Amino acid sequence: MSWWKENVASRIRHYPGSMEVEKYVYTPGVHGLEQAKALKEGKILGSKCGDTIYVPPLTLCPDHKPGELVEVKGPWRVVTYTVITETMDGRKLEKPEVIAVVKPDDAEGGLIHRVESDQVYIGMEVEPVFKPEAERKGTIDDILYFKPK
Amino acid sequence: MSGGAERRLPGHYLKSKEMYSLPGLVEYRPVARYLFSAGQAQSRFLDGLKEGKILGKRCPRCGRVYVPPRSYCEYCMAPTSEWVELPGTGEVHTAVVSYISTFRERMEKPEIVAVIKLDAPGYTKGGYEFAGLFHKLCNVEPEDVISGRAIGMRVKPRWRPPEERKGDVNDIECFEPVES
Amino acid sequence: MRPNIHVKNKVAVVGAGLTLFRRRMLETPRELAWEAASMALESAGLTLKDIDCIVIGTAPDAFDGVHLNGEYLADGAGGVNKPTVRVYVGGGTGVFVPIAAWWHVASGLCRTVLAVAEEKMSPAHPHPQGVFAYIWDPVLERPLGPNLIWIFALEMRRYMHKCGAKKEDIALVSVKNKANALDHPAAQAAAKITVEDVLNSEVLVWPVNRLDISPVSDGAAALVLASENEARRITDSPVWVEGVGFTLDNTHWYNRELGYPRYVQYAARMAYKMAGIERPWREIDVAEPYDPFDYKELHHIEGLMLARPCEAPKLLKEGHFNRDGDLPTSPSGGLLGVGNPIAAAGVMKVAELFWQLRYEAGARQVKKPVHRGVAQAWGDLMQAGTVIVLGN
Repeated sequence: MSWWKENVASRIRHYPGSMEVEKYVYTPGVHGLEQAKALKEGKILGSKCGDTIYVPPLTLCPDHKPGELVEVKGPWRVVTYTVITETMDGRKLEKPEVIAVVKPDDAEGGLIHRVESDQVYIGMEVEPVFKPEAERKGTIDDILYFKPK
Repeated sequence: MSGGAERRLPGHYLKSKEMYSLPGLVEYRPVARYLFSAGQAQSRFLDGLKEGKILGKRCPRCGRVYVPPRSYCEYCMAPTSEWVELPGTGEVHTAVVSYISTFRERMEKPEIVAVIKLDAPGYTKGGYEFAGLFHKLCNVEPEDVISGRAIGMRVKPRWRPPEERKGDVNDIECFEPVES
Repeated sequence: MRPNIHVKNKVAVVGAGLTLFRRRMLETPRELAWEAASMALESAGLTLKDIDCIVIGTAPDAFDGVHLNGEYLADGAGGVNKPTVRVYVGGGTGVFVPIAAWWHVASGLCRTVLAVAEEKMSPAHPHPQGVFAYIWDPVLERPLGPNLIWIFALEMRRYMHKCGAKKEDIALVSVKNKANALDHPAAQAAAKITVEDVLNSEVLVWPVNRLDISPVSDGAAALVLASENEARRITDSPVWVEGVGFTLDNTHWYNRELGYPRYVQYAARMAYKMAGIERPWREIDVAEPYDPFDYKELHHIEGLMLARPCEAPKLLKEGHFNRDGDLPTSPSGGLLGVGNPIAAAGVMKVAELFWQLRYEAGARQVKKPVHRGVAQAWGDLMQAGTVIVLGN
């Protein structure tokens, strides 16, 4: 059983390749379309399942039925956070970025987003800052970041 | 759903234009780069191509000859210990005329693509499985494929000049009829 | 039923649901899964609380454009906090989903299973055919710049050569299936067309023209399977799973005879043996063979031993496989007519058998009395066969 040895002298060849598509296009879905419209108006929605509101709005409540969409107003608080000092390819960031899970007091769940503060702490009260209305597209980056209130 | 048209099924169809104007549409371009290892048996096979040889591996137990070579016999689960050099000639198992590229663009000049069943002297298993390669044909016209003349045709590899060979499947430019 | 295998529970299909099949849909993949799953539950008169386990099926993640697509679909498919598994064998996935659901129940592990398949092919741009480029071997095949249709064209050409079949003989499958689909409420590509229309459509890779191929689709489909005790409580007309079979050949598709799908035959033999079927060409009343391309239906009819090798084109011409024929095939309209959201298309075929065997297929109901049907899917690089036999 020396089959694995016979090729030792021979170089193992490697072929570079990639997986490319021009792009993926993701539709927001029936539920997500309402959330998208709301974001354009500067509102954040949650879905009401019984007495509980979930943010971001769950496509389906725990009972496997779609919930009712309602606006959540906050106040928002930082649930947990991390500080990013390097980019994905290892470059040092000029200014560290704070990524946090923020949750409105009146809902369950939470959004993951940037927080603009160098004094961030768990429980910090924050509020969303939206892009100018003309630039909004109904996606999550219509919210630029959350800032301390 | 009993039967048929009486119940409208769920789902919202979008025309292309409608989709691109949806609020909340997300577009994303992934880029994933890879380095694929050819492994031991295939690396030797590719080295062989560079030298103008088609190499296969024989299973000592059942006698199957594998081209492209595998380090193991998938039927016997035994290591394929013996390298064999094939004459390179073979017959066209099937062939088609492609008018489109990988991404479905129309091509100006159609390509003839084929499966070549290679001559493997001493191959003791016949019929369903065979030593073979997937490649292009030259000096064969679309008409030969359509009429069926190309199927079963005797072919041989047309090698690129040694200085142009890189140790990949394109070291064989194509397979061409033996007569030409 | 002669179950030539020891199982803890007999298994029945008791509900089915479908979404529309369309080129592009507003719904997210999980919304599609939810629509189909909810309809399947409703048709069985159940709610998610009655379901023990979930089986999800979806083809490569690269179509939906979401990695871990099974996990992504979990909530839509009803899998949150339940034993949930995703199965995958390329195009064969659709029929593998009810097969996996079968062993969940047959083994005694679960009493009821919700089996959901979903595919959304519209996200990949410019065309999902680009995504198919990555199923090829990166070292020996990709450098040749292949298109997915090549492999089908090569197989079709070989089949034509081996069997002396002409393009016009094969085009009849497309004509039949697209016409059958006119009665299917989910259908995307139903049409009254002629053999000439197929032959005159754009030649992509000779011998494959555009109308030889099923369309690109978004859609979902779902089934509810239950153990004998549960099934008898749920419905008066359960449809029994009498046999399942599945096999996988290797990826070296160009190292074997392309004129006959041996792997489908092996899967069929496994399923028939379990069902106690010895002469499938006489004992099967209705079939849903996998038809992403028109020749594939004939190829698979022969692999399923519903016709002798090379005999299918002749029987097709004689009307044997029509809805009012002796052995109707793809009475739903198949992938060619209803559409091809890959995994969901296979489940659609099993759902069609379910409705046929309960005499609920309405305008699609085949003329002859039906007792047993077979559905089959095929997948990967000409290598996977999945077969299920249902009976009433």
